[in-house]
Amino acid sequence: METFALLGQGFAVALTPTNLALALFGCFVGTIIGALPGIGPVNGVAILIPLAFSLGLEPVSALIMLSCIYYGCMYGGRISSIMLNIPGDEPAIMTTLDGYPMARAGKAAEALAISALASFVGATFATVGLTLFAPLLAGAAIYFGPADYFALYVMAFATIGGVTGANPFKTLLAAMIGLMIASVGLDPATGTARFTFGSYHLYDGFNPIVAIVGLFAISEVLFYLETMHKGDREMVPLGRAIPRLRDVMVGGWAHLRGSVIGFICGILPGAGASLGAFMSYVVEKRVSNKNGTFGKGDPKGIVAPEAGNNAASGGALIPMLTLGVPGSGTTAVMLALLISLNVQPGPLLFSREPEMVWGLIASLYIANVVLLIMNIPMIGLFTRMLSLPQWILMPFVVMVSFLGIYSISNSSFDVLVMIAFGVLGFLLRKLDISLVPVILGLLLGSDMENNLRRALSISGGDPLILITSPIAVGLYAVTFLVLAAAFYLSFSNRRSQRAAADGQANPPV
Amino acid sequence: MSDRIAGIVMLIVSIAFGITASSYEASFGDPLGPAALPVMLSIPAGLLSLALILRPDPDPAWVTGAPLIRQIATVALLVAYALLLEPLGFLLSTFIAVTLLGRILLSGWAKSALSGAVMSLILFVTFDTLLGLPLRALPKALS
Repeated sequence: METFALLGQGFAVALTPTNLALALFGCFVGTIIGALPGIGPVNGVAILIPLAFSLGLEPVSALIMLSCIYYGCMYGGRISSIMLNIPGDEPAIMTTLDGYPMARAGKAAEALAISALASFVGATFATVGLTLFAPLLAGAAIYFGPADYFALYVMAFATIGGVTGANPFKTLLAAMIGLMIASVGLDPATGTARFTFGSYHLYDGFNPIVAIVGLFAISEVLFYLETMHKGDREMVPLGRAIPRLRDVMVGGWAHLRGSVIGFICGILPGAGASLGAFMSYVVEKRVSNKNGTFGKGDPKGIVAPEAGNNAASGGALIPMLTLGVPGSGTTAVMLALLISLNVQPGPLLFSREPEMVWGLIASLYIANVVLLIMNIPMIGLFTRMLSLPQWILMPFVVMVSFLGIYSISNSSFDVLVMIAFGVLGFLLRKLDISLVPVILGLLLGSDMENNLRRALSISGGDPLILITSPIAVGLYAVTFLVLAAAFYLSFSNRRSQRAAADGQANPPV
Repeated sequence: MSDRIAGIVMLIVSIAFGITASSYEASFGDPLGPAALPVMLSIPAGLLSLALILRPDPDPAWVTGAPLIRQIATVALLVAYALLLEPLGFLLSTFIAVTLLGRILLSGWAKSALSGAVMSLILFVTFDTLLGLPLRALPKALS
């Protein structure tokens, strides 16, 4: 019951005119960002963080706006999947499988409405889950000591690649790169200048937001320049503006299955929305694909991944808010925002700043309703945004990133750092090295060091303290299991790939 | 091959990182010291780089020809824009940058210049006037 009282207070915060207006603005902008191919949720949220600063918003208002953008992106990603067969963001890839064929069959409006409803169910399910589980987890996390936090960070870095089959060496190396970048600047405890090479610009270290905007937004522009010739985009006509209600309610239990699977994937560290959408689709296909209609425009093939990816994005907020350890790229960006606002996420956030946490949760409920309403009658407006030519869109993204970064410190140095990170991000992505662990390392590096330092201060320098607490031991055990699974999967993948390559006389170039 | 090169670069960086860090000393009794964590990082980083050298993945498709030139031109343009933003003033430098970016993205001169003019004005009004970020509108020499 206490939860409901707190949620009520949250609604009081979220329903103030400013916050409500920011939530509406966030939903609208988020949907556009999600819909436009080339600007994913990570880029979108990262580019707009400096905007939140220049508006001089209160922390809770800034958080509400960016969370609504985040939710909006997840709704918007499906639009270009369905209309153009190009996912607007990574988690929306699965939606292209059935969404585009359905749109080709003249049912674009139905596909969009079905997916909007599925997004709503998934996101609402996750928000209810967040309301119920986050306080529990935050309560448990109070028992974490510094050594346990250190173990938690080790786990976050080791497991961020998850069991996705990507080369685990590269994922771990990415985390190391992030941690190394994080140690540039003055050491907070001793004041020693580390890796500054005598440049005063580097004394504060690298601002995570500058790095994030560079790594994601600028590298995305470079990627676009590479692929801009391949394939013309052809939009499917929308058809009837507002579909009939009974054409929309075809998802049935697929909504719930997708939501549950997505939510679980969202909570797991390192899994995130893409895995949520993928797993939901695979499971739904096994359950409902009786006539072989999946991949040819089956509505349930749209419902499951959309419910899954939206539930996962809500679920991913749980570890970020309660433990301070984000589970996905976008929540890592949200963590960067919180840190820049001088808000330390973690279990104490719930007891110290209940207004912020519950205001945020309440605004997510509001965002869901707003997004559902926006995404059915106003869908024509968003699909029209897709025909915006890239030679307007790309320079616009670049300029807003520039000004956003410039507004942080009014110095060209930060902008140059952003460009350098952009080139680095492009090279890393080319080499198939994921950027999310880099960001995570960059964000959590100093906290990790502080907790290690605190643990050692408690024990008087005895490193055994790191492995004496049962919580820490449990976390290390989980880390070990996930890592073992990741390596096993990656090696068996490699072996099957090699076997496949050996089987062919002329391997494909 | 790309993975091997990246591995070698990272290995050199890790070793240099570890050696540089090991020279850091703090004068008072901190149990960890400024050197410990960076040194702790450099070891797994070095080992992972070795793994990359020994077990490289197949090469990605690197860009060549016109797209590569476009990418280099874009990076050069961005650096120039960052350096010229203050001396040239916001309006002129943004107009030039957006126009050239439009050209790089294969739009016509007229359309690019138009989008450059409109965008520089809109962004100036949004950021300077509405959001209160002080921007120099005109070139330094004129004011």
